[in-house]
Amino acid sequence: MGKQVDILQGTLDMLILKAVSLGPLHGYGILLRIQQVSKDALQIPQGSLYPALYRLEHRGWIAAEWGESENKRKAKYYRLTATGRRQLKTERQEWKRLAVAIGDVLAAEPREV
Amino acid sequence: MLAQVRSWWRALTGQSRLAGEMASEMDSHMERYAADLVTSGVEPEEARRRARIEFGSTAAAAEECREAVGLRWPDEFARDLRYAARVLRKSPTFTAAGVVTLALCIGANTAIFSVVDAVLLRPLPYPHPERLFSVARHFQGKGAESYQTNLWGGVWEAARDNAAYVDAAVFSDGSMGVNFVAGGRVEYVKQQRVSAGFFRVLGITPLIGREFSADEDRQGGPAVTVLSYALWKRVFRADPAIVGKAVTLRGEPYTVVGVLPANFQSIVPAELWTPLRASRSGEGAGSNYAVVARLRSGTTWAQANGQIEAIGTPLLREYGQDPSTQHLLLISFQRGLTEYVRQPLLILWAAVGLVLLIGCVNIAGLLLARAAGRTREMATRLALGGGRAALIRQMLAESVVLGLCGGATGATLGWLGVKALKALMPGSMNVWQAVELDWRVLAATACASIAAGILFGLYPALAASRLEIRAALSEAGRGVAGGRNPWPRRLLVASEVALGVVLLVGAGLLIRTFAHLRGLDPGFDAHNVITAQLSLQDARYATSQSVNRLYEQSLARMRELPGVDSAAVALSLPYERALNTGFQRLDGPHVDTESQITNLFYITPEYFRVLRIPVLRGRVFTVADSSTAAPSAVVSEAFVKMYMPGDDALGRHLDLGGGDRREIVGVVGDVQQKSGWGDGRPLAAMPDIYIPAAQTDDKSFQGVHVWFSPGWIVRSSGPAEGVIAGMQRALESVDPRLPFAGFHSMDDVRYRALAQERFQAVLLGSLAGLALLLAAVGIYGLIANSVAERTRELGIRLALGASVAQAVQSVALPGVVLALAGVVVGSVLAGFATQMLRHLVWGVRPGDPLTFAAVGLVLLGVAAAASFLPALRITRLNPAETLRQE
Repeated sequence: MGKQVDILQGTLDMLILKAVSLGPLHGYGILLRIQQVSKDALQIPQGSLYPALYRLEHRGWIAAEWGESENKRKAKYYRLTATGRRQLKTERQEWKRLAVAIGDVLAAEPREV
Repeated sequence: MLAQVRSWWRALTGQSRLAGEMASEMDSHMERYAADLVTSGVEPEEARRRARIEFGSTAAAAEECREAVGLRWPDEFARDLRYAARVLRKSPTFTAAGVVTLALCIGANTAIFSVVDAVLLRPLPYPHPERLFSVARHFQGKGAESYQTNLWGGVWEAARDNAAYVDAAVFSDGSMGVNFVAGGRVEYVKQQRVSAGFFRVLGITPLIGREFSADEDRQGGPAVTVLSYALWKRVFRADPAIVGKAVTLRGEPYTVVGVLPANFQSIVPAELWTPLRASRSGEGAGSNYAVVARLRSGTTWAQANGQIEAIGTPLLREYGQDPSTQHLLLISFQRGLTEYVRQPLLILWAAVGLVLLIGCVNIAGLLLARAAGRTREMATRLALGGGRAALIRQMLAESVVLGLCGGATGATLGWLGVKALKALMPGSMNVWQAVELDWRVLAATACASIAAGILFGLYPALAASRLEIRAALSEAGRGVAGGRNPWPRRLLVASEVALGVVLLVGAGLLIRTFAHLRGLDPGFDAHNVITAQLSLQDARYATSQSVNRLYEQSLARMRELPGVDSAAVALSLPYERALNTGFQRLDGPHVDTESQITNLFYITPEYFRVLRIPVLRGRVFTVADSSTAAPSAVVSEAFVKMYMPGDDALGRHLDLGGGDRREIVGVVGDVQQKSGWGDGRPLAAMPDIYIPAAQTDDKSFQGVHVWFSPGWIVRSSGPAEGVIAGMQRALESVDPRLPFAGFHSMDDVRYRALAQERFQAVLLGSLAGLALLLAAVGIYGLIANSVAERTRELGIRLALGASVAQAVQSVALPGVVLALAGVVVGSVLAGFATQMLRHLVWGVRPGDPLTFAAVGLVLLGVAAAASFLPALRITRLNPAETLRQE
């Protein structure tokens, strides 16, 4: 296990949207996918995953459906909705701008300030 | 946005589903994680433990989820309610006092509102009732205004011909019993007379057949009738081929032309309808018609009303009315039908609202007292960071829960109240819709309960949350001399007394009115007298000869019955409304040529003997006063007083119109009657003229029998058993096709005559009693509370040598002083309020000093008792113990 990073406030929503944009997932699956893609660098506090899912569903960005899981058990699957896709796009742009801005700040030489 | 509302609503309405889904989702999450851990080599037991620990609190997560979908506000609301219920359960005495108070007040409101709703508020049961109007006369005299809907034939004709903006019909306001023979049955059924188009205007289509045509509604037109659904089912077993069949009505064949639908609700109790055949002459020469009008589509009230008003002015003058104080207009049909009960009902409604207000004041007082005991709780909650708004919300939740508990109990009481009202109501008002606890009434009750909860809870909640936290916590409830400001509670108690005075004075006046009317000397002996009425509006009784033969033969048989002392027939009974007619005096002092008004009765000879009405001068009729004898009349003493003061009256002559001239042969004592004219008092000794039935001509009989069902009056020497059956047999043996409408003792007739006054007096009396009780409880609570609060102080005083009497006085006196203040303020208010009762009060003035004084004394007496009773607890106080108690 590599070094773990705490998730920034507000980025969890974006990560969830991204995770389900690749295909419907249940809650635990979302958690695994984020950890897997980030190569275990991002650790999501398990208890805060569900409030986030309910909040996103309430806003209509993801939709939930009860389906059957790999081991024949009922599970709630989340998928991205059309508005969710738009939201993901905006958030990604925001994030890029933020990353660029922070990068700029950190790269600044003393004379430029 | 819409999606959010939908998701919120789904969450709110599917609470248990939501909780189940959350739990199973989180459980399966933990199971999967544990399974993954097992795969990576962890022991199953340990894996499950770790999964639970790493997930954290599922309860916290679930709560966050609920918040995420917008359930925070409903969750807090539910929590407030649960907490409120717990708090109320923990103080059962307070809760019981509050619930009982509210239940009584709301129960009374529910019951009265069910009547108000059925009569005044619920729309009439016809299509588009808002477009139905009555043509009414509006009087505007000195300070008083009123509406009357009874009109003359000429007014109807003008409205029919010249008011193009409305579709109008005319009807006879009220229903008469008639003899109905069909399918081998003889029945006395209620009949209403209506014009062609009456049902069209109401918006009712007959179930079978049709309503009357214009041709049938003309003098001399074919005799036709429309049946009610109930009559059609009862007598004809719902025969689908009923139209065209004949029935015998009023002794004549009538053809059925239609049957009304089952759900049709008549404005007066009636089971069949016949054409009115309105005209300008006969009954149409008097104001005996009522007109209903429906606005034609596309027209407004203002247009139609303008038209009616313009038609009215010249017409009213033609009928001898003063156009400067009177004009025609359109008022809502419902208002037109209910005008005569409107004011009494509104007064009752106001009274019952006042009682609820007093109840709220009472509970507010209780809450204030309780708040004193909860100061530390409140201070602790504030100190721990609870917001003031949350505190107020919490306390309001408590009072709303209390309000709803009281409301639910009150609805049950109201249900009983409605039953009691129904028993009281017959005769006092005409109700065409069922008086019942339907959803409208229950919704109003629920609203009243919640409003009451907020009303009595708001001030105490605001006051209790305004705290100095440190002082409240350190004081530790050990104040020596109370400490809390007693004035808000005292003001509440005083205002409660003031409102109570208003109600008690109003009730007192109505009760005195009722007692006055009941106490009036009836003028006759009602004991052991049985009466029975029947309709002689019958083709077989169109002549004086046939009517008098019926009277003579049936009375002769009744007199032969065992136990019967005497028997007579009269056009109408005492305590009922009598025929009024114009007459002229022909001789004696101060004769004027103007026609005067009097009540008129035809009677058979034994009438005065049966009722034991005293003969003051001259003689009464005998069988010798036959159709061939000299026309004679007997008058009442009130008649002599009103029209021939100081005159002996005997031997004078009267003209009853149409060439009917009579000599006064006797003067008899006065009898109480419902007055249809004069100053509007419900009962009075009216001026009466009596004439022998034998000297009444065909035309007069036919005319008066349209409006009046003559009464057989029988005096028995003992109990009535057997007499009734005997009377029935006697009539049947003379004419088997004449049904009596029912038998009543003369006491029943008297009881019914005062139905409305009794209704008002009993109801307002009960409400005032409730108000008195509430005021007493309020004062008692105030004083008991102050004794409890001041126990330590009083203990010190007693220890320092104050006498018990002094201590009792110092505690109880505020109660009496507050009551005195309340009585003074209340009397002033009552002085204004009783002006509303002006038209309902008889035999006593609205400002009757006796009533005011009695109410004041009763309230002060009750207040003194309620103050001294709890204060006497001081006598059992042991100073040493009190001081030791910490």
